[in-house]
Amino acid sequence: MKTVCKLTGKLLGIVLVLFVATFTLYMTNGENKLIYYVVRPFLNKHYDSQSRDRRI
Amino acid sequence: MKCVFDKPFNAAIDAIDSKLEKFDPIWQSEHGVGGLRSRYYDKTGIAKYREWRGCRDTMLDYVTWLKNLGMMGLMVAKDPVHMMKAFWEYRWMGSFLGSFAFVDRLFEGFRGRELEVASLHSNTIVRTLCGLIGTIVGNDRRLGGGPLTDQLVGLDETIPTLFFAGFPTLYPEPMQTLPEFVICDVDQHIEPYYIDVAESYGLPADVCSRCSAETGVSIDDAFPIFGKLVISTNQPCNASESTSMFQRRRFHSVGLEDYPFAFAMQHNEKEGNEYSAQELRNCIAKIEEVYNVKFDWDAFFVAARRINEQSTLEMEKWEILATPYSPLCGIAETLYKLVEWAIANGRIDYFNDTDRKVIKIMRQAVKDKYEPFKGKTRHRAFLWGPSAVYYTDLPTWTQNCWGLNLVLNMDSTMGHNMIDTHDPEKALVDLAKFSEKGVMRHHAVGGWANVNAVWDWAKKLNCDMVVVNDNVACKGMNGVHAMLEEQARDLGFYFCFIPHDLEDCRTISRAEMRKSISSYMSVVLNEKPLDETLVDFDDSEAW
Repeated sequence: MKTVCKLTGKLLGIVLVLFVATFTLYMTNGENKLIYYVVRPFLNKHYDSQSRDRRI
Repeated sequence: MKCVFDKPFNAAIDAIDSKLEKFDPIWQSEHGVGGLRSRYYDKTGIAKYREWRGCRDTMLDYVTWLKNLGMMGLMVAKDPVHMMKAFWEYRWMGSFLGSFAFVDRLFEGFRGRELEVASLHSNTIVRTLCGLIGTIVGNDRRLGGGPLTDQLVGLDETIPTLFFAGFPTLYPEPMQTLPEFVICDVDQHIEPYYIDVAESYGLPADVCSRCSAETGVSIDDAFPIFGKLVISTNQPCNASESTSMFQRRRFHSVGLEDYPFAFAMQHNEKEGNEYSAQELRNCIAKIEEVYNVKFDWDAFFVAARRINEQSTLEMEKWEILATPYSPLCGIAETLYKLVEWAIANGRIDYFNDTDRKVIKIMRQAVKDKYEPFKGKTRHRAFLWGPSAVYYTDLPTWTQNCWGLNLVLNMDSTMGHNMIDTHDPEKALVDLAKFSEKGVMRHHAVGGWANVNAVWDWAKKLNCDMVVVNDNVACKGMNGVHAMLEEQARDLGFYFCFIPHDLEDCRTISRAEMRKSISSYMSVVLNEKPLDETLVDFDDSEAW
């Protein structure tokens, strides 16, 4: 019984932490800020330096 | 089922909502202290924080976002090597990272049941696109190929794929949907790159930008490579024939055979349908020959029954859309229908599940006389003409800023005739009719009667207004402007053009498109905006 309670408590704790983390990310629009200001500029730099097999 | 905790729980939620309502942008606009645009950084379209919609709706939107995040994460986790390679190889793949912001702006200002419907649609759309990206990227020969590489069939994105249900071991994958059509919805700055590539090789700048962008993708060698055959088409118009010819050169250079599948242009005529049915027979025979498979009519009839159910539900949705009580509205309707019809086309069963859930919500809304957007809709418009792909969320803006509900889009009325599910010969003719009335085609080509149908649709849906998307580079429709204006006057509809350049945001920006509506609403109709922050803003650097 004690083990079950402990496990349930742990599980609830994990769910709570996950909820707080994802809800904070959601409300602060964190993923979009990261992609817009960091990831895309980095990728665009790479795309601009590519040499492509251009022909008709 | 009622629970004893419902009452105190709801009371607690209502108490929190009343404490936090000042953070709700709609409340802010109603009280003159801000609005839906207040939470954005200038120009970028990146929000400082997400929209507070009240506890229930914020949680619903959060769960929708979480599901979308999960589906995208799963797609990457299933095949991380191919995914990373694709992000490194294809410029258009990078643009898919803007998907979260894209979904956010589609459903801004949605609350209650309209948000519920939009969430169901959003998850279905993301699920479908993740499946499409996963299959194409995971089997792209350029990235090392995959287990299904030789079972994939490339086809033009405007060919309806229902008939492929008769080839259950093959996977029809639209060639242009990822590098061009869908991605332009997500990122307004991606297609100008490919358009510039095409124009740097001498293609004139005044052609349809969709076709120009596809040609640019082809010249830039940015199509994924898979399958043994690519089926090209004349859908929806003559510009598509031109770009198909450029693309076939690239496909041939990478060892892919192409097969032209030409639909009848005069698709209201019986002879036209018979011609298209014969084209279907020929195309099926070609696939059987190249892939060494046999068409399975039983498998086809299963998908035909599925699409018949979708069409039946769709017609019931139109009846509800004609009332003020439809929680299915604007872009939540348009984009879902486009993906359901143009990408899934009866081959994916979960669309029927979504349709059944949505019709249930719609029926209940009629019973309850539920008016979406707190009953703030002032005008109802039928939207004619292909929309600007770089401004997919325009219907959301028209509703939030001016109370203008774009009830239904021309492209949502695509093929909806019933398809025979017993007799192969009858089924082929039905299928031909269904397929001819495709994207940008049903009301845009095939004779004046198809264009003229706009007034019947507007009347049927109880609209007082017709809004025409004016693709400035579309050679087909440039000639009918004056006639449409004259008819609107005669029939007593409010009437407004929105100029755009389909996939090139540099010719006519989103701000200019908004200005054309705002001018009409304020000067002609003497309306005041519902949300002042939405009237004039700069989103030129937004995805």
